[in-house]
Amino acid sequence: MIKFEHVSKTYPNGVKGLQDINLEIQDGEFIGIIGMSGAGKSTLIRTINRLNDITEGQLTVDGVEISGLKGKSLRQYRRKVGMIFQSYNLVPRISVIKNVLSSLVPDMPIMRVMFGLFSKEDKIKALEALDRVSMLDKAFVRTDQLSGGQQQRVSLARTLAQNPSVLLADEPVAALDPVTAHEVMDDFKRINEELGQTVLINIHHVDLALEYSKRIIGIRSGKIVYDGPVSGITKDILDLIYSKDGADK
Amino acid sequence: MNKKLETVLSKEPSRRVQYSITGAILLILLVSSSPALGGANMTSKGFEIGWNILTGIFTPDTSLLFGLGDSGVAYLILQTIAIAFLGTLVGAVIAVPLSFISATNIVPRPVVLVTRFIIMAIRTVPSLVYGLMFIRVTGPGPFAGVMTLAIVSIGMISKLFIETIEDLDTGILESLDAFGSTLFQKIRYGILPQLGSDFISILVYRFDMNLREATILGLVGAGGIGAPMIFALSAYHWHQVGAILIGLFLLVFIVEILSDKLRQKILHG
Amino acid sequence: MKLYDKLFDAEKFTLTNGKTVSQKFTRMPLIILMLLIGITVSVWVTGFSLTMLFTNITGFWQILASMFPPKLSYFFQVWRPLLMTIQMSFFGSFFGSLMALPFAVLAASNITNNRVINLVVRFILTVVRTIPTLVSALIATYIFGLGTFAGTVAIFLFSFSFVGKQLFEYIETVDMGAYEALTATGADTPRAFVTTIFPQILPTYLSTALFAFEGNVRYAAILGYVGAGGIGMILNEKIGWREFQSVGMILLSIFVAVVIIETVSQQLRKYLS
Repeated sequence: MIKFEHVSKTYPNGVKGLQDINLEIQDGEFIGIIGMSGAGKSTLIRTINRLNDITEGQLTVDGVEISGLKGKSLRQYRRKVGMIFQSYNLVPRISVIKNVLSSLVPDMPIMRVMFGLFSKEDKIKALEALDRVSMLDKAFVRTDQLSGGQQQRVSLARTLAQNPSVLLADEPVAALDPVTAHEVMDDFKRINEELGQTVLINIHHVDLALEYSKRIIGIRSGKIVYDGPVSGITKDILDLIYSKDGADK
Repeated sequence: MNKKLETVLSKEPSRRVQYSITGAILLILLVSSSPALGGANMTSKGFEIGWNILTGIFTPDTSLLFGLGDSGVAYLILQTIAIAFLGTLVGAVIAVPLSFISATNIVPRPVVLVTRFIIMAIRTVPSLVYGLMFIRVTGPGPFAGVMTLAIVSIGMISKLFIETIEDLDTGILESLDAFGSTLFQKIRYGILPQLGSDFISILVYRFDMNLREATILGLVGAGGIGAPMIFALSAYHWHQVGAILIGLFLLVFIVEILSDKLRQKILHG
Repeated sequence: MKLYDKLFDAEKFTLTNGKTVSQKFTRMPLIILMLLIGITVSVWVTGFSLTMLFTNITGFWQILASMFPPKLSYFFQVWRPLLMTIQMSFFGSFFGSLMALPFAVLAASNITNNRVINLVVRFILTVVRTIPTLVSALIATYIFGLGTFAGTVAIFLFSFSFVGKQLFEYIETVDMGAYEALTATGADTPRAFVTTIFPQILPTYLSTALFAFEGNVRYAAILGYVGAGGIGMILNEKIGWREFQSVGMILLSIFVAVVIIETVSQQLRKYLS
């Protein structure tokens, strides 16, 4: 369970990323976070993985206050929380499987890490992750030969290989065409249903968010302005989230 | 609409002025550079030599061209390749650390300015000067050639390495961070694989250039196919000159094709 | 490679759901083996020795140190050959690039629709490019006599072949739409080329020519070594006489000249692109 209590985030330059966020996320939920760009969607997601630190309040995951985590404990925590980015962040000139395997590296002994010696079990783990996003046949292809959608799937497989209990995705389909975007979203949905992983996705396409999520969180200017089921979304609420004149600083 | 036309029109004459100024500058430079034509005293002897070299190429000294001994073209080519190969490797060994301390995303600006100045200075000294200096270290022969090429390679290799390092995709590091990698793991799996193929492709390219460079090192006694060619030229042994020129052409030509293919494969899979 | 894959079995992976994939045996051992052989042979052929390098490297530093401080007063003897070097480079680069244009057009298969001409011209460009500049300078001194002209010829040949190759490869990638439209209206090849293709290639052409010029200034500095004029002549002389402070001054002058020319030329190239 992820719990935000009065969480705020102020950037060093004074910009308020998040203001008094209160949230409770149960295991296995599929949540879409919507809002205008710059509203704080990314900040919200990134605080859960501690890529951004919060400045006020408490953020606990499974009862652990995560702002206290440091060094090894932080890295161990991050093993449980997978993150997918808009840019696929894959090394283009190595094979797909090597990219997937890199997420297993933190659990490997030092000598194996140094020489890149992956055990057969690790390789099978990586291949199964690839199979889950139907990219098994591309395992030994160089990553730069793949299309954007395929690369995002590899990126997803890389995160799955580390077997996280939470999947965070920061605009994972923003760079993809509508058809491919749907395919990747289908993958997320399937993983959420089959493996029961909690999924939090930032999407700026409202229709995609509404189609796939069970719960929607609407953010504006760093504040939560809607938190509830998809069915509760009305035109008024969308206007509130996306209205231009209301975009106060 | 009118305004648009006006702006378009106002652009037109300025172009013409620009062209004529450029033309005038070029003409002045050209005229003032005419001393470059000095020293031409082509005699009938020059023609004769030119003709002799040409016939030499078509009637090469076959025992030299196909000879397998130490003075045969085959051995000279092998030696030239060896000089270029080792020279590139040694140059790379020096250039890698130098590049990392010259990349703006790794070290602070003042350091970069200093290291880049050093690289620039290293690059300015002509290869033959290095050749003469290294002969004092290693004695004449191919070893001096290796060191010379190593030093002259540093400039270009580090320039391209630095570009690669500065182009690193930091998003990959962020991803590695996000799944709990240590600094060492980030370097090993985030940075090295990104740099690897670019670095190798740069080295292959430099090897190709070093090979051309290695063909002239013989002038200062630093080994390679150049020295016997000079001897043959000054002794007016045109058939030998022809044989060596053919060897040199084939060498450079084949290596260029192979290195292009290899780089294509490395960079684009 | 096929033989290699037959010799070394592919690794098979069976997933828990029964699917199998196989990975070709890694090429790493083969690559490492080839590299090791390459290094061993090269070390053996060149007589490379790290111990000799480290024991004798002081000689290198001594020469380097003896160049400092450069003999500034020597500049009065340096500037004239330096200027000559730049003049040679400019002249050679200019005419080389100029001559490259028609050859590039003949080599480009999308403009010149004759396979034979394409290949012949490309072969000429390749042959000329393959001969190292210093070698062509050396041969030029035999034909044209010692002096700057031989150097200018060598630089001319290099610029011609370099710009020619870059240019024809670029011409083959340009947008042909306008050209085809114009030939369709009945324009002949040269006219259509000048009005549609030439404006497209002009920035790249000039930029390549400038790039060649930059490199040539650097390169021309050594042409004097074979008697082909320029600053290399005195450089060679001063090294021979072991007047290293003068050598230092010559190198310093080249350095300054190269920096200035590269800066100007890079600005121009940035402007062009």
